[in-house]
Amino acid sequence: MTTRAESSPRRGWFSNSFEAKEARLAWFLILPTALIVFGVVLFPAIFSVWISFRDVGLNNLNDVFNAPFTGLENYKNVINDYAFKYHNLQNWGAAVTTIIYSFVSTALTIVVGLGAAIVLNQPFKARGIARGIFLIPYVAPVVGVAFAWSWLLDPRPSGVLNHILMSLGLIELPKAYLATRGLALGLVVLFQAWRYFPFAMLMLLARLQAIDKTLYEAADVDGASAIQKFANVTLPELRYVLGSIFLLRLMWTFNKFDDIFLLTGGGFGTKVLPVLTYEFSFRLFDFGKGAASSMILMIILVVFMVFYVRIVMRGTEE
Amino acid sequence: MDKQMNFIDRMGRWLNWQRFFFLLVLLVFLTTILFPFYWMVSSSFKTGSEIAGRTPTYIPSALRLDAYRELFDSEWDHFQNFGANIVNSAKVAIPTALIAVILSTLGAYAIARLKFRGKDLLLNGILLVYLIPGVLLIIPLFAMLAQLARRIGFDVQDNLSVLVLTYLAQTLPVALYMLANYFRTIPAEIEQAGLIDGCSRIGVIWRITLPLAVPALVSVGMYTFMIAWNEFLYALVFLNNRDMFTMPIKINTIFSDPSPRPHVVMAASTVMTIPVIVLFLGMERFLAEGLSAGGVKG
Repeated sequence: MTTRAESSPRRGWFSNSFEAKEARLAWFLILPTALIVFGVVLFPAIFSVWISFRDVGLNNLNDVFNAPFTGLENYKNVINDYAFKYHNLQNWGAAVTTIIYSFVSTALTIVVGLGAAIVLNQPFKARGIARGIFLIPYVAPVVGVAFAWSWLLDPRPSGVLNHILMSLGLIELPKAYLATRGLALGLVVLFQAWRYFPFAMLMLLARLQAIDKTLYEAADVDGASAIQKFANVTLPELRYVLGSIFLLRLMWTFNKFDDIFLLTGGGFGTKVLPVLTYEFSFRLFDFGKGAASSMILMIILVVFMVFYVRIVMRGTEE
Repeated sequence: MDKQMNFIDRMGRWLNWQRFFFLLVLLVFLTTILFPFYWMVSSSFKTGSEIAGRTPTYIPSALRLDAYRELFDSEWDHFQNFGANIVNSAKVAIPTALIAVILSTLGAYAIARLKFRGKDLLLNGILLVYLIPGVLLIIPLFAMLAQLARRIGFDVQDNLSVLVLTYLAQTLPVALYMLANYFRTIPAEIEQAGLIDGCSRIGVIWRITLPLAVPALVSVGMYTFMIAWNEFLYALVFLNNRDMFTMPIKINTIFSDPSPRPHVVMAASTVMTIPVIVLFLGMERFLAEGLSAGGVKG
């Protein structure tokens, strides 16, 4: 009897066995989430590939399925665009700016986060409150903090940074920090580190607290200095977490739009690919070109990720 | 004896120096973190001349509410009707949080407890969301929704439900991840006991698992609420009508006003920021755990 039941067509999806019931329940439970994620993210992402090969503008956005096929035209237009291309050391273009901006701000975010994690790993009174305060930049709305920053950096003498630097005698005339090439990019990087270091801090703090105390005791016995202990005990223990944080933050910084858009509007050498994509799509209303530039953004990211996971992360697992 | 004293003496000095250095670093961190927020709040009380003076005014001369009047008082000049924007933000953030908690609870339970074919594929697919830039999705999403809207009959622009849908898609993967991790920490034996006592699966989830997972549910709810409350890009693209603006877009509009009124921008930012920070500090214990468990996107 049992063998017949197993080979009957009722086996699997429609069977009444406990496993099948559980599997059906599982799919039923996860279906709404899966539908939303696939419908609103994954399907549009694939659709975006399709759009990037078509000529889509405001006039045919409602009739997008009949948009004329243009081959690689959009991609050529993006790559040859003045704002995209690398020109010289003074004018990097969006592609190079995005890469440098993402790497430098990710690295700085992690360094600041590591510093904060080490500070919060010391036992002191009010550590809980300090941890709460350290997390504030990460949870506060970007609109508010970006405008507060841009006003601190105000080009007039009434800007706080101008006032401080001028009273210290470091500069003679007020500077327009967010409207000067170089300075603007540096400040956007600083803003990233200020806003996102708590993320790195949280992950590192959790790992720091899990490090075996006997490792430090052994190092003490060997007469290691604080710096030696940090370099030979702490850092190796943090390596894997550092690798993962770097990857996650790099991905998100790469795709980040609002911070730069709100601080500089993408001007003065801070035009990154997400902002350029926004401009192609919603200033020029050339949606095909916008789709192509966002595809280029994703391709750069995926190439880097494959490289990173294959080469850098493989080393950390050993 | 002498040698020992010397050693203790040196230890004491070393500790002091270290403590001084530690306090200095802590102070630098706290100042850099808090000063922009202090600037935001204090500036919202300043007068026009205090803002545009020759030197910055660090402490406003009085707690003037002019900026807040402009936001909320319909009798005032340039009345901004900011109350409507707060309502819009709440209309987006509260449903996003509630729906995300419900859906991710169901999904996370399936992932943590039930065996089914295609689980890994599904999970990886859902995590792909991390990789896809937000700007990439807007155009295809708009085109798709426009098609759908014409058939079913709704508006894509100025429709807060569309925003809720996009925020859900952005937050559900992380919520799912956070909750599944939490469910795994609840011993399966407790549930099996319930199953043996004759509870159905749904009964077990409702009576046993959920009450144990309240901290995680609160943290997921808070996290999704904050994402929806703070979101800028999608709201910027999908909202055109001033009456439908959420707070971030409204603040951006006030900021870009031809006659700059920074104190109003800062007042609006204060109104938007302070509730989030208060809510966050109140629930920090839950949240810090949740944030690091899921690796919140942002």
